[in-house]
Amino acid sequence: MPWITAIVLLPLAGALSMLAVPEGARGRTQARAHALVVSAAALVLTCIAVGLIDRDLGTLQLVDHHGWAESLGLSWDVGVDGVSVWLLLLTTGLFFLAFVAAAIRLPERGRGFLALLLLAEAGLAGLFVAGDLVLFYVFWEAMLVPFYLLIGVWGGSDRGRATLTFVIYTMVGSLLMLVAIIAAAFIAQDHTGQLTFNIQELRGVAFTEGESTLLFAGFALAFAIKLPLWPFHAWLPLAYGQAPILVTGLLAAVMSKAGVYGLIRIGLPIFPDGADNFAVPLAILAIVGIVYGSLVAWRSPTMRMLVAYSSLAHLGFIVLGLIAFDTVAAQGAVLQMINHGLVVAAAFAIVGIISARTGREGVDDLSGMAAGAPRLAGVFLIVAMAALAVPGSNAFVGEFFILAGVFEHHIWMAVLASIGIVYAAVYMLRLYQTSMNGPVTGDGRRAELRGSDMLTLLPLTGLMLLLALWPASIAGSTRSSVERAIAPAQVAAGRPAAEVAAPVEVNPPEDHLPLTSQQGGTP
Amino acid sequence: MNVAASTPIIIMSGASVLALVFGVLPWRTVSRVWPSLAAVAGIGAAGGMSIALWGDRQTAYAGNLYADRFAMLVNVIVLLAALATIALSWREPGAVDRRGEYAALILLSTTGMMMVAGAGNLIVLFLGVELLSVALYVLCAMEAWRERSLESGLKYLIVGAVGSAFLLYGLAFLYGATGSTSLAEIGERLFASSLTDEPFLAVAVALIVAGLGFKASAVPFHMWTPDVYEGAPTPVTAFMATATKAAAFAAFLRLFAGTLPDLLPDWQVAIGVIAGATMIIGNVAALLQTNLKRMLAYSGVAQAGYLLIGVAAGGLRGAEAVLYYLIAYLVMTVAAFAVVLVREREVADGDELTAFTGFGRARPLLGGVMTVAMLSLAGFPPLSGFVGKFLLFSSAVEADLVWLAILGAVGSMISLGYYLRVATVLWLTEPDAAGSRKVLRVPASVGSVAVTSGVAVIGLAVSASLVLDVCRGAAEALLAP
Repeated sequence: MPWITAIVLLPLAGALSMLAVPEGARGRTQARAHALVVSAAALVLTCIAVGLIDRDLGTLQLVDHHGWAESLGLSWDVGVDGVSVWLLLLTTGLFFLAFVAAAIRLPERGRGFLALLLLAEAGLAGLFVAGDLVLFYVFWEAMLVPFYLLIGVWGGSDRGRATLTFVIYTMVGSLLMLVAIIAAAFIAQDHTGQLTFNIQELRGVAFTEGESTLLFAGFALAFAIKLPLWPFHAWLPLAYGQAPILVTGLLAAVMSKAGVYGLIRIGLPIFPDGADNFAVPLAILAIVGIVYGSLVAWRSPTMRMLVAYSSLAHLGFIVLGLIAFDTVAAQGAVLQMINHGLVVAAAFAIVGIISARTGREGVDDLSGMAAGAPRLAGVFLIVAMAALAVPGSNAFVGEFFILAGVFEHHIWMAVLASIGIVYAAVYMLRLYQTSMNGPVTGDGRRAELRGSDMLTLLPLTGLMLLLALWPASIAGSTRSSVERAIAPAQVAAGRPAAEVAAPVEVNPPEDHLPLTSQQGGTP
Repeated sequence: MNVAASTPIIIMSGASVLALVFGVLPWRTVSRVWPSLAAVAGIGAAGGMSIALWGDRQTAYAGNLYADRFAMLVNVIVLLAALATIALSWREPGAVDRRGEYAALILLSTTGMMMVAGAGNLIVLFLGVELLSVALYVLCAMEAWRERSLESGLKYLIVGAVGSAFLLYGLAFLYGATGSTSLAEIGERLFASSLTDEPFLAVAVALIVAGLGFKASAVPFHMWTPDVYEGAPTPVTAFMATATKAAAFAAFLRLFAGTLPDLLPDWQVAIGVIAGATMIIGNVAALLQTNLKRMLAYSGVAQAGYLLIGVAAGGLRGAEAVLYYLIAYLVMTVAAFAVVLVREREVADGDELTAFTGFGRARPLLGGVMTVAMLSLAGFPPLSGFVGKFLLFSSAVEADLVWLAILGAVGSMISLGYYLRVATVLWLTEPDAAGSRKVLRVPASVGSVAVTSGVAVIGLAVSASLVLDVCRGAAEALLAP
């Protein structure tokens, strides 16, 4: 059974069949049910996929392969390993919760809203399972369209500028990535004699250092913009600020993982020399992002911007964990991707509830809500503690792994990054204290969580607690995949052989050398 | 003499005469409806013959006209464009009382394009270029009561004549350098030679590039494009944008990739530079337009630049990429012009971008078609425009022209600025009370063209491997000695 293909195509089919749902009041209920059923089915399929794969293997599993334009080396190649399966689960899980939230408060033109959300889900799910560079690019770009329309049609007053900045920024990076994809395939053909865009088959190709550096730069720019990494983040405040809060949550929780995932799936394994050359520059950008994001979050006027900028800082940590080329740090980075997804989704959900009920978004406009809203205050406290990585919270484990791994190789990076943890306490506590404590107003009673809010917040906080108690559930199962992903970069960085846990492929295998001219196929 | 090889051209010329005769018959219904029917029948028969001739190369008229896979594929492309134009012209003001001439001129122009595609001789090539141009001069000025339309026709006539002169001069030099007008013989005589030994040949190539550059609207020979596109009746603009471009690139491929492959290192960089300039200037100029037809004109200039990448890359992969992109470009452009046409008939200045305020919300289907067309022109995956650009950039990288692929990517980034603006206007703004509510019933022929081409934009990408097999076959036929 082609599980992975089904997971990607199900939301797509759901979006298209949404056209059959009638417009108007009767259609609204039907559209809700339709979207919920489709996304629940995708979630169930993902859970089955999680159960099916052998998590100690570290290779791509549940692979589906179909030709698309074989003469060009293009094909539909999907599969999951120990890293991507968790991101897939994050995607389908959070989208399911998003549909629950959307079903409770369906905006105007709800049919289109739900259909576009389903398309976005298909795009993100496809991105995380793509095993072919071109397919990766297709999903990378295709998900822009639903997000563009979601922000553009249902967004705030400055949505025109926000969408344009968002799309143009992303496309600037990704079109260069397209050139890099094509160039990588053709250069690899010179080395191996075979034209392919398959990510697995491109591993271990002996690019020269110059080629590897240039190609990595082409990919890294796209990833850095999508993350976003400082200073490529100018689209973030506009897009996060203008999007409907539900969409902002999905952007921050799921889409921001696309760039990190690109690094671990493509950047490090295929272009290890380039990754090694860019490791320190990227780390500096990540650290600047941590400090800058924290500072701006601290002074943010609105709750939404505070969470948005805190997300910038947290993503800096994740990048840092990957480019330390350390197994523990990279495992921490993957765990932190999931943690951050859960925490930021919950944070945006709370911000959304507060601003919808009280009509206010400013951090300083609210106070003393804990008195009227004990449940809200409780959930908020859990989320805030997770966001600032208090020991015992789920994010603590991830950040600890990252810092411990980074410390082994670059002490200064770990020291500078630790500042970010301090700042996180500053801005999260400011947010919590000003809004929940202080002089009591009537806002608290209005904003108190209702049963319907609990439907989305309880699963999120429950999972956060679960991961806090049992981080090994994810971290352990990513080990062999992560080792395999970073091994080439570790070799390129000249790490001692004892650290490199996975074998490094050589492509083409040495016994095939030298290539005959027929195999070479060069003009 | 092999008559079969020339049947598509004979059918089309016959149908155009028939349309002309029907047009002057005294009965009103006959003179209004029958010319279009004759045109559709002619296009169908010629298309059927072109498909039937798909196979090994046949020649007619002592090797002066080829019927190979390449020519047949280009035939099908221009015939589809002609069919779409006839369908879009239903109730077109310029055509109502002169249905006969209108249909006949489109058929004649198509005949010229088919001659270009199948040319085995320099003279046939030039005759084809002239036949397609002369018919278009008249078509542009068809709405004679509109000053813009007359201006359009006159401008196209003058600029087109200059372009033809360049082309003819270049062909004459090519004859002078080789002593033959037959493409096959020219190819043999130039085997393993280079432009540097042959100054005449260098002049010939430069003049031919300029002449064809006028037809393909490549920079710096593109200045006529926006004025002519804006002034001409919209179906004619769509026809010019798609079919003329296909014919011009068929000529480019036939002459450069097909006849002068041994000179590739000499003309490659020159065409590459023109391609780069065309993409950048076309895209930047399109950013500044507020009129949709002018914007599409500059976008057409930019698209010619992308196509030139494939010509510069040459070889099998370059030719294949150009052919695929021509098909993709045909459907996305026709889709865009069909929607413009609908709006143009509803409100005054319907070709202005502002006329589309909230159009998507009022008319989701047509708005969707327009959005798909714009996204595909911008190269969004997984639409056919993306597959085409992917092929073109690949061909450039394979020919060691990575800088050209990067320029293409930069051009695509710039193009987002204006393609997305259309999407923004369509969906992100509320319809204003006065304009957008005015909704006329869309004629079935126009609506079906819009929807069919919108679906084809997606279909061409999904069935890419099938279409690519066809293009590969055509490219192989082109390169066959």
